[in-house]
Amino acid sequence: MDSASGSESGRQVFRKHTRPWSRRQWLQATGAPLVAATSLPLMAPWHYVAASEHYGGSVRGRFIFRGTPPERKKLTVDKDVDCCGKFDIRDESLMVDAGGGVANVYIYVRSRDVPVCVSVAESSARQVVLDNRDCIFKPHCLAIWRLRQELYIVNSDPIAQNVAFAPLGDLPANIVLAPAPGDNTEATWRFRRGQSQPFDIRCNYHPWEKAYLLVRDNPYFAISRDDGRFELAGLPVGRWELQLWHERVGHLQLPEWSQGRRTLTITGEDIDLGDIPLLPRDVGIGQ
Amino acid sequence: MFAMKHNRVSNHKDTADGLSPKADGSATRRAWPPSFQIASHPMVAWATVILLILGGCSSYKPPDFKLNLEGRDPATVKPVQREAIEEVLTVLFGTPDDPHVPSGVDLDLALLKKAAGPIGRDFTGNERGLYRKHCAVCHGISGDGAGPIAEMLNPYPRDFRNGVFKYTSVAGGAKPLRSDLLRTLNRGLPGTGMPSFSPLSQEDLAALVEYVRYLSIRGETELFLLRAVVDENEPLPLRKQFVLDEGVRPVDAMWRLAEEEPEKYVVVPQRPRLSPEELAAAIERGKTLYQETRAQCTKCHGPEGRGDGSESELYDDWNKLKKGITEEQTHQLARWFSLPLQPLRPRNFEDGLFHGGGQPEDIYLRIYLGIPGTPMPAAGPAPGTPGVFQSQEIWDLTSYVLSLSHRGTETGRKVADRTGNKLSSESGMARE
Ligand code: HEC
Ligand code: HEC
Repeated sequence: MDSASGSESGRQVFRKHTRPWSRRQWLQATGAPLVAATSLPLMAPWHYVAASEHYGGSVRGRFIFRGTPPERKKLTVDKDVDCCGKFDIRDESLMVDAGGGVANVYIYVRSRDVPVCVSVAESSARQVVLDNRDCIFKPHCLAIWRLRQELYIVNSDPIAQNVAFAPLGDLPANIVLAPAPGDNTEATWRFRRGQSQPFDIRCNYHPWEKAYLLVRDNPYFAISRDDGRFELAGLPVGRWELQLWHERVGHLQLPEWSQGRRTLTITGEDIDLGDIPLLPRDVGIGQ
Repeated sequence: MFAMKHNRVSNHKDTADGLSPKADGSATRRAWPPSFQIASHPMVAWATVILLILGGCSSYKPPDFKLNLEGRDPATVKPVQREAIEEVLTVLFGTPDDPHVPSGVDLDLALLKKAAGPIGRDFTGNERGLYRKHCAVCHGISGDGAGPIAEMLNPYPRDFRNGVFKYTSVAGGAKPLRSDLLRTLNRGLPGTGMPSFSPLSQEDLAALVEYVRYLSIRGETELFLLRAVVDENEPLPLRKQFVLDEGVRPVDAMWRLAEEEPEKYVVVPQRPRLSPEELAAAIERGKTLYQETRAQCTKCHGPEGRGDGSESELYDDWNKLKKGITEEQTHQLARWFSLPLQPLRPRNFEDGLFHGGGQPEDIYLRIYLGIPGTPMPAAGPAPGTPGVFQSQEIWDLTSYVLSLSHRGTETGRKVADRTGNKLSSESGMARE
C-alpha cells in the first residue's frame, strides 16, 4: 500500500463518519493501518460504534504509603553547575506527601478496543507538556492519548537541554532545545503506536534528569497526584481490566492487584476504591 | 570489565546458533587480531575465518534464529511462551535457511534467498548464503551483533534486531533507506570493524541490504512479541491476525516512512561552493557555533574537539541497558547480556576517522541528524522540531570539524587522506 492511497482512504473513513456528535455516542479508535495514521491530521482514524444507552462512570481512589518513606537522596549535579547547582535536585522515584499520599502511580485501562466517550474526547487537551525547568523535567510522569494528543516539549532554562527517548517499535527521539529565552526552545512530537507501559525520557547533557511517558490509544489513564489521589473519568459501561505501574517496580503488584491488574465492572455509577495502601516492599524497598 | 565475562549465560552466545561448534568458535576468537586490522583487508580475512570456523563441521545442521533474551533473565520466560513466540516467528519469517516474507511486507523474497542459507551455490550455479559468508562472523546468524568475534571489536557489531541504525540520511529517527544501508556496505564504517564490501556485485550487495532489513523487521516483531507475551501475558495460542496487525504491520509501516515520504524525512546535503577565503571564514564561524551553548558540542567533544568533554560516561542504546546505578547492579545485569558493557567515546576530530564517512556531506548529515542509538543529538530540523541549527550553520560546523581533523596527528592525517576527508582548496569544500 502506498502512503497516498493509505491516507486518502483514512480520510474518507474520517469524513464519512463526521456527523454531529451526540452525548451518547461513543468513538472508537480503529486499528487502522499505521501508514494512514501517520500521514493524517492528529484527530485520526475514528469510527463510531453503536451509541450506548448509559453513560459509564469514573474510578477514583488514593494511594497511601504505609511506613516511613525513605529520604529523597540528593542527586549528583556535576554538569552546568553554574545554572543547575543552585537547585535542590533530588530523587523523584518515590514521592510521598505529608499525608502519606503517593504521587506518580500510573493507573490505566489495559483492555484493548475500549470505546471512547465523546465528552472525554472533547475535554482532553490537544497537547501534553514536558517542560525543562530548573534542570529537571516537569512533570516527572506524563501520559498521552496519541490519537488526539501530541507531546509539546519546551525548555525554560537558560541552558541547552536535550530530550531523548526510544519507545518500543516507534521512532526514537534525540532533540536539542536551545537556551531560553530565544528561538528553537520548543518541539512537538507525535507517536505512531501505543505502548503497554511507560518508557523513560532522558537528557544526554544532564544524566540526573529523568521522566516517564505512557503512550496510549485511548484516554483512560491517570497518574496519582501529590496527595496520592487519582481519577479515571468517564469510563464506558463494561468490564475493563486496569493496570497499575510505578517506576520503581514496573507493574505494581498489590493485594487484589495481581501483576498490578484488576478487572472492574462499570455499570453507570462511579466507583471509589478508597485508600489503596502501599507497603515499602511493594515499591521495592528493603529487598 | 573482564570479571563479568564468566558470569554470562552461555545460552546467549552466538556460537550456539549454528555457526560452528562452540569450541571452534572460541578458539578462533582468541587467535583473531583486533578490529582495525580486520578492516584493512576484509575479504581475505573473511574467507579465512569462515574456512576456519566451518572446517570442523562434518554434518550440516540447519541453524535456528535464537530468541532475543538480551537483558532478560531466561527463567522469566515460560517454555510455552518461548515456543509460542518461536512458532509464530517461524510461520511469518521462516528460518535462517528458508526465509519467508509476511504478506504485504516490503521485503524482496528473491533477494533474501540469495543472502540466506548455508554458503554455497544453487543448481544454476548462483551463489547463496552471502550473509553467512560475509557478515555472520560479526553480526551473528540471528543478526544479534554477537557473532563469534564480536566481543573483540569496539564498537561492537550492530545488533540489527531493534532496527536502529547510526549512519543514515533520514531525520526524526526514521528507518534508513535502502541506499543508506548500501552506502554502509560499499564504504564500510572507517574506524570500526565494519569492512567495506565494495568488491561484491551490485546484486549481491542488494541481497545483503535486503537481508539486513529482514533481520531488523523480524527482530522488531520479535521484541513486540516478547513485550506482549512475556511482559503482558497475551493469551496463548497467539492469534496470527493480532501479530500481523499489531506487530508486523506497524514495523513495516515504520520502514516505509522515509522511502515513501522522502520530502519529509530525507536530508539531501547541498554543499556550498566556497573559495579558500570563504572557507576560512566558514571555519571561523563554525568554531564560534561549536563553542556556543546552543548545541553543547563541547560538552561531549571537548573545547578543542578532542573527544574529551565533561560528559564522561556515555553509552549507546545497546549498552545503556547494561549499566546499573551501582557497580554491583552493573555486575548483576551483565549476566543477561551476550557482550560486556562497552562505553562509548565521543569522536576525537583530530583523529580524522569519521565512522559515517569523511566527506563534508557525511559530516553535515551526522551533525544535522545526530547519530541515532547514541547520545549524539540531532542539531538540524526534523518533523516537529525546529532544530537548533539551520543548514548554513551546519555547513559552517562541518567546515570547522573537518579543519580540526586536518590539524591532527600524523596517523590521523594519513587516515584522513586515505578515507578522502580532505578539506583543502584542491579537494573537499572548495571544489564542487
Ligand atoms: C569484522 C566484523 C564485521 C563484519 C564481517 C561485518 N560487519 Fe557490519 N558492522 C560491524 C561493526 C563493528 C559495526 C558497528 C559500527 C558502529 O557501531 O559504529 C557494524 C555495523 C553494521 C551496520 C550498521 C550501520 C549503521 O548505520 O548503523 C550494518 C547495516 C552492517 N554492519 C551490515 C553488515 C553486513 C550486511 C555485513 C556483511 C556483508 C557486515 N556488516 C559485516 C562489523 C562487521
Ligand atoms: C551528548 C553528547 C554529544 C553531543 C552534545 C554532541 N556529540 Fe557528536 N558525538 C557524540 C558521540 C558519542 C559520538 C560517537 C558516536 C558513535 O561512534 O557511535 C559523536 C560523533 C560525532 C561525529 C563523528 C561522526 C562520524 O561519522 O564519525 C561528529 C562529526 C560529531 N559528533 C559532531 C558533533 C557536533 C558538531 C556537535 C554539536 C553540534 C556534537 N557532535 C554534539 C556525542 C555528542
